[in-house]
Parts: sequence; structure tokens; C-alpha cells
Amino acid sequence: MAERVDVCIVGSGFGGSISAWRLAELYRAAGSDPASILVLERGRRFKHTDFKQSMHIDHLASIYKLIQSSGGPGTLGASGPQGCQMVTANAVGGGSNLYLAASLRAPTEIFERRDHNPADGPDRRVWPKEISRKTLNGFYGRAEHALRVNRPGWDRVSKSGGLWAATLANAGHTCDRVPLAIDPGRCAEAKWCHTGCVFGAKNTVNTNYLASAERAGVRVRPNRQVESVRRSAPNADGYRYVVSADPMDNEGENPTRRPTGTAEEIECKVLIMSAGAMGTTPILIRSQKDLPSISGQLGRHLGSNGDHVAAIEYDPKKVRDVLGLPGYADFHKGKPITTMTYDFYVGRRAHRYDGTRFNLQEIFLSSLTNFLYDDGRDPAGEPSWWGVQKKQAISSWSNRIELLAMVEDTHDGEFVAPPPQGSSLQPNAGPVEVGVFSYKPSEQSLRVRELADKAMAQIAARDGLGRFMKLTETQGVYCAHPLGGCRMAESKDLGVVDHRCEAFDNEGLFCIDSSAIPSSLGVNPSLTIAAVSERAAAGLTARAHELGLPRRPPGFKHRTPAQIVGERRVPAKI
Amino acid sequence: MAHELSRRDFIGRVGALGAGAMVLAALPLAERMVAADPALADVSLDDATLQAFADTLIPGRKADRTDLGDEIHPLAIAGVDPEPGAVEADSLRVYKNPLVGFSPALVGPFLADLSTRSLQQGGAFLTLSYDQRVAVCLQALDFSNGDRVLYEAAAAVPFTAFCAAVEHPVGTDQNSSGYRVMGYPGAAPNGYRSFSYRRKLSAERTKRGYLA
Repeated sequence: MAERVDVCIVGSGFGGSISAWRLAELYRAAGSDPASILVLERGRRFKHTDFKQSMHIDHLASIYKLIQSSGGPGTLGASGPQGCQMVTANAVGGGSNLYLAASLRAPTEIFERRDHNPADGPDRRVWPKEISRKTLNGFYGRAEHALRVNRPGWDRVSKSGGLWAATLANAGHTCDRVPLAIDPGRCAEAKWCHTGCVFGAKNTVNTNYLASAERAGVRVRPNRQVESVRRSAPNADGYRYVVSADPMDNEGENPTRRPTGTAEEIECKVLIMSAGAMGTTPILIRSQKDLPSISGQLGRHLGSNGDHVAAIEYDPKKVRDVLGLPGYADFHKGKPITTMTYDFYVGRRAHRYDGTRFNLQEIFLSSLTNFLYDDGRDPAGEPSWWGVQKKQAISSWSNRIELLAMVEDTHDGEFVAPPPQGSSLQPNAGPVEVGVFSYKPSEQSLRVRELADKAMAQIAARDGLGRFMKLTETQGVYCAHPLGGCRMAESKDLGVVDHRCEAFDNEGLFCIDSSAIPSSLGVNPSLTIAAVSERAAAGLTARAHELGLPRRPPGFKHRTPAQIVGERRVPAKI
Repeated sequence: MAHELSRRDFIGRVGALGAGAMVLAALPLAERMVAADPALADVSLDDATLQAFADTLIPGRKADRTDLGDEIHPLAIAGVDPEPGAVEADSLRVYKNPLVGFSPALVGPFLADLSTRSLQQGGAFLTLSYDQRVAVCLQALDFSNGDRVLYEAAAAVPFTAFCAAVEHPVGTDQNSSGYRVMGYPGAAPNGYRSFSYRRKLSAERTKRGYLA
């Protein structure tokens, strides 16, 4: 007999946590018990003090999944890791544990775009007509309040971000400070957001939405990997879906990070899939035979948010003499994202510019990406990407900045088959897995990345400030922002969910996460995922009674979740 | 041109995911090689040769012990660079780390192929000069080598060890020579005070930091 709950939420990242909190508010207001809202999470739970400022491979394996596309249908890299490599999170709180907290509203033009992959249906607006920047603004605001988004002053901009701003100004461009979901009072400027913030300064959903939902009574069950979902039997008293989940061996010494094989079943009236583009989509594909009315678009249109990274290696003397900035060897200090330019986006409103726009942001990914960029030094009889010359290039790491171009590409990925378990093939307990998706960048996706490269190279070269270091595109795309796979659309022939994130012809089944996002966003996507989730959750609470959940009482208002930080490390004053 | 393609392939593949990704890419090839010659599965892990290979990719100074105190074979490091290299940064531990998976799956096929190529240069890889080792690696990593993915996997290991200190529970410039060479302090438990220029450095386009 399956355990029964009103609402089962699969995944605890932005979408899952926002849904959990908004439903908890409804249940409290209606006098019902939020314990009937259950969140399942594949990863384990971390306190801030469990995180490490470390690239130790065991720590990486416990919080990250690094998924590379497979070359063939369901085979283990039949033609190697071509296509795309996706970084995903694996912990209670999902991607918010690892994000770099840049919290930006996507530009108006994003929601109006008509460009798309040539094989992707007729000429049309890619987003459903109900979604625009205007209709999302209120939900953006709601998410900004909950995530405590603020914009650092110039005195809180990192030296690397300041160097990018000065470089842009030197080339005649503007550069803006980036709003962040980071508490300015707690941030120690250590630039270790990427392996989890030990200071509790980063406003993850564990410090607001999810913490408040749990405080209200929502149950969160970590270490559960959902394998499949199916429809309930007929006449199941309003219950619609059954979720099969496996407990995971994630804890203790040398965890296998695999299912233990003792499956649990949870039956629910409303099922919210919030496992992200790389989690929700494979689960639903594996469940397709038991969800016969789901759209045939399932698994298609997987995107990378147009992520495209590169670097500039500076000449410190030029930085001092031309820009008047002394002492740059500080790539490692401050917040990982603080500045970006919109100069290659604005003034291009018409559709003829669709697919050509991009924004350029200074970013710190990790020390591992030191060798991601082609240093371009002359071989002079030796290889330049390894050997003595590469060693010298690596040694100049602290004089660099790293750049993230977010370009208007098309969604070029497609899942080719469901893995037998989980979201990808797992050869060992390490962080790297093989996905069952292909990724072939379209001509537009390649062309707009070339435009971004050209712009960055020109900016870097002005007055000989620095050397542009290009990421190769011969093997595809490197992405920390997977989107799509269950995209929202006007109709079932174009997408999997509607503008409310509810699956077409599957009442009570929602995809409230990055899997519903149908296009790249031109900015870091977390705030847009949050806004779309807020909108979907508002829609769900408004019609909750139609789905067998408590009726929304008159005068019900959504509130900002409390900030609940928990145990954290407090830096010594130095 | 062929060499250029190989270089770009490698940098692109390794950077995002480190050694693990490359190991996965090489697994099918290794399985095919072992199926064709089962004796490859019995090739023992040769620490000294793996260290010598790592030193060829990220060369370093002569040393007796790694950062974590492991022994370094006297012939492994050619000594062509004055600063610590990948061997000192504990590449061998990464080769052996089950979370990476290079060992045991790729060890036999890789060492057997490396041995064959090294003999063409005059001897076992460990006994070759640095220039001879470079010649072996240039050939093996050339795009024209259909089995180069094995070498890409083996090459990813020293980069991952050196740049990310993945064997250190908490890597710092005190315990990780890779971080020290890069000028990277690693863990920063108290953060930084002098992290900003503390002044406006460009004109801004928006009021709130995002576009309308």
C-alpha cells in the first residue's frame, strides 16, 4: 500500500521549495496540515558547516553531478563526450546550494523571441502568450524579496569585477553591478560560493523558502531518488499519481551514491516535478508508458541557457598604467559575480536581432577551469596545451578574469532514451556521469557564440590590456544552467506543459522547475526559474480545491518566507 | 591542423569536468582493447611510469616526496621546470582514486600502448629524456591517433590534480603545490578584506542592475 499525501514534490531546488512554501501558506490559512505536502530529494541534507571550501573529489561527488552528453542512444559514450556537459546539484536545496547568486530579471525581448532550432516547428513566439516580462514582473519581485536580492555598491564589487568594468570603460562600454542573493553582512568575500557557502551568506532556498516550508510543517525526505511515476488506479479517492522512489546510499564513509533497492511508493493528488531539466525529464521519459497522454515533445529542446565561457589574461603593468588599478593578482577574492555589460543586448529590440544578442558577465567558476581556455601561445616546437609552456600559462592564473557570455542560442539537446535508474549512467561513486542526451549546436548557437568571442577579444585587446583566451567549441557546450526538456508552450504539439507549468492532458501533474523554461534567458536563470515557479504556485493555490487540495480562503495573501540561516561559520576579523 | 584539433579537443573536454569525464570517454576503447588482448587486464599499475607521464604534461622540479608524502620515483621527474609540477601535486593518487575511475579500467591499455610507443623512441618511458617523452606524447595525442582518447584521459589527471587539489580535503597554498604555483591561496576560512577597488569603474546602463 502506497503512502498517501496530498502533494508530492520531486526535488527541492528553487521550483520545489517555492511550491512547498506557497502550498504550506495555503494549508495553514485553510486550517489544514502541511504535513500532507512531501518533498523528496535525491541528495543529502547539508548544514552550512558541512560544506567545505574545497575541490576534494569526495566533496564534489557529494554535492555535484557533472553530466556529459552521450554520443549515441543510451550507450556509454559511443562516440565520446561530444555535445554538452551539464553541471547539476545534488542536495537538499538543489542548485541554490551551488549557484553564484546572480539574480537578474530576464530582458523583455527574451520572452518575445521567435528564433528557434530549424527543426522546432513553425515560426512563432517561443514562450506561451501569457508569459512576458510584464506578466512576470510581480513574481520576479516576490522572488527577489524572498531571496533577499540586493545590489552591492561599488565598494563591494570584487577586484576582478572592477577590472572587467574598467576594461569595458576603457573600450567605450558601460558595465553594471549585478544584483545578488547574498547577505552583505555575512559575506566574507572568500569566493567559495561554488562548493557551498560555509558562512551562510548565500541566500539559498534552505535559508528562506524551504526552511519556512519545513517550519510550517512540510515534510522533506532527503536521499530519495525518484525512479518513475504512474497514474493511480481508477477510483482512487481523488489520488492521481503514484511515485516510486529508492532510498539512496549518500551518507557515511564511502557512500556508493546509488539506490539501495528498497523502493517506496507515494500516492498523491498533485505531483510537482521539480528535479530540474536533467532530473525531471529523464524520470518522465522513463514513465512515459504509464503516462500515455503526455506530449511527444517530452525530452526535446534541452538547452544550455546560452552559456559560453572564456577568459582574459591581463598584463599587470598595463592594468596599472592604462587603467590606474594597482595590485591586480586577485582573481580569487570577493564575490564570484559582480559586474556585467548589457551593451551587446540593448538597442536591438526587433525580431531581426533575435538570436544575435548576448550579455557578458565577469565570473569565477573554480580553479579547475584554469586550463579550460586555450592560451594561444606559440608552440615554438613544443605543445602549448601541455608541457613547459602550459605550465607557465597556468602559473599566471591569478592575473586573469573569467567571463560568462549568455547568448541567445537555440535549445539544441534531446534526450535519446531513459537511463535505467536516476537521471544518467553512473560508472562509479564519483561526480561524473554519462547522460542519455545528444547535443548538437545549431548554426545560430555557434554563430552567436562567435559574435561573443569577437566582442570579448576586441575589448581585451584595447591598449594591449590582456590576451583573450578562447574556449574551444569543437566539442560543444559547457553549461551550469540546463533548461528545458519539458518546456512550456502554447499547445501540446509544441511543448509538455502549459503556461501554468501543468502537463497538457495530465491534470495535477506539474513541472515547476528549469525543465519548463523554453529558451535561453540572456542572464543567469535562477531568478527567472523562481519567478516562473512563483507564478505556477500562485496558479496552483488559486485552483487548489479543483485538484482536491484545501480551498484558498477569502483574503488569502502570499507572504515573504522568513529568513532562517541556521548553523554557520563566522569568520574571524582579520 | 591535426595537432591543433587535438589540442582544442583536450582543453575543451577536460576543463569542465576534470579527469573523470575523460576517463568515461575512454572506457569503451579500453574495453575493446582488453577484449582483443585479455593480457592487458593483468598489466600492473606502474607508479613510476604514471608519474613520468604526469611530469611530461605538467613538468616540475626534482623532488623525493609528493605534497601528501608519497614517494616519487627517482627517474619520474625530468626536472625541466624550476617549480613544483604535477607529480609533486599528487597526480598518482588521482590516477588511483576510484571516484575518478582511471584505475583499473584504463591502466592496462594505457601503459601497454605507452610502452610500445616509448620503445620506438629508444626505451621504456621512464628511461627516456624529457624531449623523448614529449615526442611520445605528441604522437600519442595527435588527432591522427585513433586511440588518443586513452591519452586524453591519462592527461586529464595531472591537470585535475595540479589545478584543483582534488586529493586534499582542504587544499591551500601551504599543502598544495599546484595552488602555490598558481598564486591561489585555496581555502579562505576568514575571507578577504582587500577584495575591492572600492570605487566606481564604469558608467552603468540600468537603475537596478538588470534590463527592462
